[in-house]
Amino acid sequence: MDKKTGAYLCQGCGLGDALDIAALEKVAKAEFKLPVIKTHACLCGDEGVALIKADLEAGAVTLPVIGACSPRVMTDRFQFPNAQVLRANLREQVIWSHPAGDEDTQMLAEDMLRMAFTQATKLNAPTPWKEGEFATTLLVVGGGYAGLTAANEAVKAGHDVLLVEKSAQLGGSARGWTKVVPSDPPYREPQDNPLPALVAKVEANKAIRVARNATVTKTAGMPGKFQIELSDGSTHLVGAIVLATGSRPYDATKLGHLGYGASPDVITNVELEIKLASGKVTTKNGQAPKTVAFIQCAGSRDPAHLPYCSSVCCSVSLKQAIQLAKADPQTMVYIVYEEMRTPGQAEEFYRAAQDAGVIFMKGKANKVANGAGLTVTVADELLGQEVPLGPLDLVVLATGMVPNSTDVDAPAQEYGAELLNPDINPYPAADESYKPAPIVPTGGPILNLQYRQGPHLPMLADGFADSHYICFPYETRRTGIYACGPVRRPMDMAETADDARGAVLKAIQVIANAAEGASVHPRVGDLSYPKIGLSACTKCRRCTVECPFGAIDETEQDYPVVNPTRCRRCGTCMGACPVRTIAFDNYSVDMLSSMVKAVNIPDEFDEKPRILVIACENDAYPALDMAGIARHQYSAFVRILPVRCLGSMNLLLINDALSGGYDGVVLMGCKPGDDYQCHFVKGSAMAKERLSKIAETLKSMQLEPERVTMVEASIADSARLPKVIDELVATFDTIGPNPFKGL
Amino acid sequence: MTAPTPSRTYDLSFARYVYDHIDGGQRLKLCMQCGACSGSCPIGTQMDHGPRKLFMMIRAGMKEAVLTSNTIWNCVSCYNCVVRCPRQVPITYILHDLSALAIEEGYAEAKKADNARFAKAFWWSATVFGRTDERLVTARYYFSSGLGEGIKKGMANQAIALAMVKTKRMHLGMPHKVKGVGELKAIVAKAAEIQARHGKEG
Amino acid sequence: MNPKPQSQTVLVVGGGIGGISAALEAAETGCEVVLIEKGPSLGGRVAALNRYFPKMCHPTCGLEINFQRIKRNPRLKVFTMSEVTAITGGPGNFKATIVTRPRYVKPNCTACGDCAKVATSEVADAFNYGLGTVKAAYLPHAMAFPMRYVLAPEVAGTPEGQSIKAACKVGAIDLDEQPTHFDLSVGAVIWATGWQPYPATNLTAYRYDALADVITNVEMERLAAHDGPTKGQILRRSDGTPAKKVALIQCAGSRDLNHLPYCSRICCLASMKHALYVREQHPDAQVDIYYIDIRAHDKLEAFYRKLKADGQVRWLKSKPARIEPGADGRPVVCGENTLTREVYAEPYDLVVLATGMQPSAKPPMETAMDDYGFVVGHEGGVIGAGVATGPLDVSMSVQSATAAALGAVQAVRR
Repeated sequence: MDKKTGAYLCQGCGLGDALDIAALEKVAKAEFKLPVIKTHACLCGDEGVALIKADLEAGAVTLPVIGACSPRVMTDRFQFPNAQVLRANLREQVIWSHPAGDEDTQMLAEDMLRMAFTQATKLNAPTPWKEGEFATTLLVVGGGYAGLTAANEAVKAGHDVLLVEKSAQLGGSARGWTKVVPSDPPYREPQDNPLPALVAKVEANKAIRVARNATVTKTAGMPGKFQIELSDGSTHLVGAIVLATGSRPYDATKLGHLGYGASPDVITNVELEIKLASGKVTTKNGQAPKTVAFIQCAGSRDPAHLPYCSSVCCSVSLKQAIQLAKADPQTMVYIVYEEMRTPGQAEEFYRAAQDAGVIFMKGKANKVANGAGLTVTVADELLGQEVPLGPLDLVVLATGMVPNSTDVDAPAQEYGAELLNPDINPYPAADESYKPAPIVPTGGPILNLQYRQGPHLPMLADGFADSHYICFPYETRRTGIYACGPVRRPMDMAETADDARGAVLKAIQVIANAAEGASVHPRVGDLSYPKIGLSACTKCRRCTVECPFGAIDETEQDYPVVNPTRCRRCGTCMGACPVRTIAFDNYSVDMLSSMVKAVNIPDEFDEKPRILVIACENDAYPALDMAGIARHQYSAFVRILPVRCLGSMNLLLINDALSGGYDGVVLMGCKPGDDYQCHFVKGSAMAKERLSKIAETLKSMQLEPERVTMVEASIADSARLPKVIDELVATFDTIGPNPFKGL
Repeated sequence: MTAPTPSRTYDLSFARYVYDHIDGGQRLKLCMQCGACSGSCPIGTQMDHGPRKLFMMIRAGMKEAVLTSNTIWNCVSCYNCVVRCPRQVPITYILHDLSALAIEEGYAEAKKADNARFAKAFWWSATVFGRTDERLVTARYYFSSGLGEGIKKGMANQAIALAMVKTKRMHLGMPHKVKGVGELKAIVAKAAEIQARHGKEG
Repeated sequence: MNPKPQSQTVLVVGGGIGGISAALEAAETGCEVVLIEKGPSLGGRVAALNRYFPKMCHPTCGLEINFQRIKRNPRLKVFTMSEVTAITGGPGNFKATIVTRPRYVKPNCTACGDCAKVATSEVADAFNYGLGTVKAAYLPHAMAFPMRYVLAPEVAGTPEGQSIKAACKVGAIDLDEQPTHFDLSVGAVIWATGWQPYPATNLTAYRYDALADVITNVEMERLAAHDGPTKGQILRRSDGTPAKKVALIQCAGSRDLNHLPYCSRICCLASMKHALYVREQHPDAQVDIYYIDIRAHDKLEAFYRKLKADGQVRWLKSKPARIEPGADGRPVVCGENTLTREVYAEPYDLVVLATGMQPSAKPPMETAMDDYGFVVGHEGGVIGAGVATGPLDVSMSVQSATAAALGAVQAVRR
C-alpha cells in the first residue's frame, strides 16, 4: 500500500488563536503536497478522532500527522489499529512556550510541521523479527534457595525449567541450617528451614530437569533462543535465564585481626550453623560455651574488606544468639555491634533477642586475644570506655557475603575481563577514610556467554550483578538474563524468595515478547530492530563495542550481526556507525538528518538564528513539555528534535545542522557518571564522548567549537531548561551567524 | 538474698538479679539505649549517669557504681521518660526499686538519716494539707538540718526546682489542700491507733 | 488440580510505584489488567518525592517511562478516583466492586487549563501535603497521568462551578456527576495500596502542631521539589527565610512501641538525602542527624559513607526527648547524646521529623495480615505488593510488585 500522509491540524486549546492555521495548511499543501489536509476545533474530541478514522478506513490516508498537543498526551485518543501516527507538538512546545500571534512562534510551528511531514516520508511500519522457533523453557543457574524458588515458581506459571547446580546436592549454602530468620508474623521465633521441603518439591517436579555436578560451558544466542551447553556435554534450547548463584561467606582467614585462626573457638557464623545443625554447640574442650560474643560487621562495612553492608548478618546473629540463649538460659550471649540493622518488621526480632537476655554492646571490637579464655577488647561507646570482654568460651564472627558472580573454580578469561570491573564507584571520591579498592571478582564466567563483548554478566559495583535503576531493579545490561538473590545484592531469605519470583516474571515476560518480535523494557512492544547494510559496513566494530546490551556480535569475517531479541532499541549502534549503515524501519540517521534539514533557515540578515536542540525523549523532552505546561517562555529560535536516546545521536546530525546553517547545536541528555541516569546505560556518556571528537570537524569547517554544546538535563528541569536555552541563544548570538547560512 | 557482685565487666549476674528482683526489671532487657529517658528527665543534668547509662552499667555488671549513683535518688517521678520510652521500660519504678536495693545492701547509709528527715517533712505535709506540697516539703526537709545548711541546699538545687516547676511536679504559691482536712486527720489518727495496736513501728 | 480460572483479568489496587509496576509487569507478560487508583492521577507517594536515594535522581524519570509503557499497552486499563469496596471469591474467580467518585471532569478534557483560569476559590493542595493551595479546578501536578483536570467537590454545586463549566470549550465539565460503581470479575487481585506517613501530631513531645518550623520528611520532599510550594527553596515556614541549620530526627514514630513498633527502613536514607538537599542549597549549612541506629543496608552503605564524608553533617546517636519553642521562636531540640552523655538543648532553623510509614488500606476481604496491618502471604487471597507488605524502599517495592505480578500470572494461567 502506498504511503499517504495526511495533515490534521487542531485549533483547540488556543492553537487556533495563537497560530495562523491557514499558513500551516499552506505548508502541508504547497511544500509537501499532502493529499489530505484537515483542521478541526478539537481533534482529540470524538468528532475529530472520527474524522481521522474515517480517512484511514477509506484509505485516503495511511499515515496521519497530527499537529496538536504533545505526543505524550492523548496517546489513547490518537491510536488507530494498524496505523502509525506522527505528532507535531504545537501546543506544549509552541504556543505554551512562546507568545501567541508572534512571527517567530508561527515560524516555529511551521518548522515543527515540516519536521513531522519529513519524518513521515522516512517512516516505515516495522516488520517484527520472528525467525525460527522460540523456546519457552527457563534455565535457572544455581540450586540454592533463590534457584529452587525460581524453578518452582516458573513451573507454576506453566514453564519447564532446566536447573543447573554446580555441586552434587540441591539446597545451597543454607541447606543444613536448623532454623532461619523469621519472615512470618509475629517475627519473634527462629523459623524452620524451608529448604528441605523446597528441595523435595523441586526434585519431585517432572517439569524441572535438574542437572547436578554441572556448570554452563556455553551460552549462545539470544532471548527466546539461547543455546546452552552444559559440562556434561548436553545441549539445550532455553528462552530466558535466571542467574541464582547466591553468595559465599567472606574469607575469614583475612580476619586475623578479629582472632580468626588464633583459636578453634573463634568461628564464623557459618561455622556456628554447622555446630547448631549437629545439635550440640561445643568449644574445643567439648563443653557447651557459657559465654559467647558475636562480632558484627566482621569484614563488612570495612574499606579494607567488604565496603558494603551484608544486610543479613545482624538478623542471623540475633537468630543464633536466641538459639544459644534458649538452649541454656544461663549462657551469657553478647552481640558487639556498631549499628543494629533490623529493618522493617525485623525490629521485632531484635526485641525478641533482647527478651531472651542477649546483651548488645555498641562499639568496635578492636582486638580478640587468646589467653585464659578469649577476650574481645571493645571500644564500648555507650559506657564510654574500652572494655575487655571475657573470658569468653566462644567468639562468633558475623562474616559478610560475597556474591558468586563468577565461578571461582574456573580459570579466569582474558577476553571480556573488563566486564568484571565496577561500572560505577558509589563511594565518596573525596573521602580518604573510606576509599575501598575496587572489587573485581576473580575466576571464570558462569554463563560463558558467547557474546562479542565477553563471557560475563557486567558488574555494577562490588562484584554484584545488579541493576543501577531504582525504578527498574531487573534491568541489567544483558537482555533475557535476570540475576536474583544475593548474587544481585546482599539480601535475606524472605527477600530472596521475592526476588526469585520477580526474576521469573521478567524471564517469562521476555520469552513472550521475544516470540512476538517485540522489545522489552523500556521501549516495551517496539517491533523495530536495527538492520545493518553490510555493503557499506567498514567493519569498524563501533556498533559491536558500544551496544550497551551486547546485542551485536561479529561474524568470522568481522561483520556485525544483530541478535534482535537482545536489542533494546536505543539506537546507540546507529549513533555510533560512521557510515550510517545501521537503521531501524521507523528510526534512522537519514530520517533524523532529513528532519534537521527540513527546517527553514532564514538568512543572516533576518537576524533569526536557528538552534538545533537534540533532546532525549525520556527526560529532556518531557521537561520541555512541562515547561510549556507551566507556561515558562523561552526563545522561539530553537528547533527541538527528540531522539530515543542521545546514544543514537550520530555526528552526521551535527554536521548537517551546521552545514545547513544552524547557528548552534545543543544536546540535552541524562546525567552520565557514577549516578548515571540514562535508561540505556551509556547513551549520554557516548554522546559526550562523540562530541569530544567533533572539535576537529568544526575546525575543518572553520567553525567555532562553542557552536556545539551539551546540557545535562533531568526531567525535573522544566524551570531550568528555558533559562539554559535563553542563555545559549545569547551565547550563539555573540558568536555571530553561521557562515554556512544560505550556502 | 543479696545481689551478686560481678567480678568482671559484663558478667551478667547482677543484671539478671535486677531483671528478676526489681519492679519492671524484665522490661529493662528491652532498653535499646536511645537516650530518650535521660533527655526527658527534668533534672537530667543533675544526674551523674542518667537512667539510660545506668541501665547499660547494670548490664555491664557495675553494681557498686549503679547502687551508689545519684541517678536512682534524683528521680522526681514526672514519668516523662516512661511515657516517651519507645520500649515501654517503666524507668521510674526501676529507679525507685534500685534505691530501695541500695539501702538494703548498705550502699545508701549516708542517705539514711537524710531520708528519715525527709520522711518526717513528707508526713507533715500529708497530714496537714492532705497533699504533698513539693516546695514546702523540700523547704522543711532542707531546713531540718539547720538554717545555713538549708539555704545552701536550696541554692544548690535551684535548677532542679525550676525544672520541676516546668514539668508541673512542683507549684509555687499557696499549698493546695484536700477537701475535709478534718476528716483526713481523723483517718490518720485511726491509722495510727491501728498500727499501735499491731505493735508495729511508725 | 485446581479448577480453571473463570477470569484471566488481573486487578491491581493502588496506583503508586508498586501498583504501576505490578500492573505493567503483568500486562507486558500478556495479561489483561485493570489498575485502580484512589486519587486523580497515578504515581502515589513517589510522584511527590523530589529525588531518590542514593542516585539523587528524580522519581518522575521512572514514572515517565512507566506512563509511556501504560500508554502503549492496550491490555492495561486505568481507573482513577476509584476504590475497591468489596472483594469476594478466590484465585481464578474473584468478584470485586469498584466505586468511582466524581471528578466532575470528563475524559474529553484536553488539559488546556481554561477552567483553572476562571476558578476563583482555592483548596488545599493535596499533592503538596497541604503546604499550599490550588485553584478549585486544578491539574494534580505537571506530570499527572492521566493528564486531566479535577474539580474540587466544594465548588461543584456553586455559581463558581457554573462559570468553570461555561469556560470549558470542549464541554468536559459535568457538575452533576455522581459516584458510580461497577463489578469486575477477575482471576487475581494484587493489593498495592502502599503507605501513609505516620501522623506527626501523635508525637506530642515534638510539637509538630504548635511549631511552624517542625515539619515532616514528606513535607521536606515538597519543599525541596522544583514544582513544590517554595519552588525548591528550603525555607522556614514561620518567616520564609532559608533554613541553614537543620535537624533531622530519625525514628519519629518508628521503632517505638507507643507508635509504630517496626522500623520503617527508608527514613535513615531519606534523611541523608534531605541532608544533601540542604547542603546543596547552602554551602555553609549545618545539618544534624539524630538517630538510634543508622540503617543503610546493603549497597546503600555507600550513600551513608558519602554523607559521612561531609564535615558539615553531624551525627548524634540520640533519640531526642522533646522539642521546645526557643526564646527567638526557633525550635529547640532537647535530649541526651548517648555517646558523650551530654544533655543538650540545641536551637534550629528547621526540624524535620522522619516519620515512618504505615499501611494505608486494608483489603475488603479476609486477608492474612500481621499485627501492624501489612499483608502477608497470599495463598487463597489477594496478593500483597510493595509497601502494603511491609516497609520497603522503591527498589524493593518494585521487586515485590514484580513478584506479585508472577503470582497473578500463575493464578490466571492455571
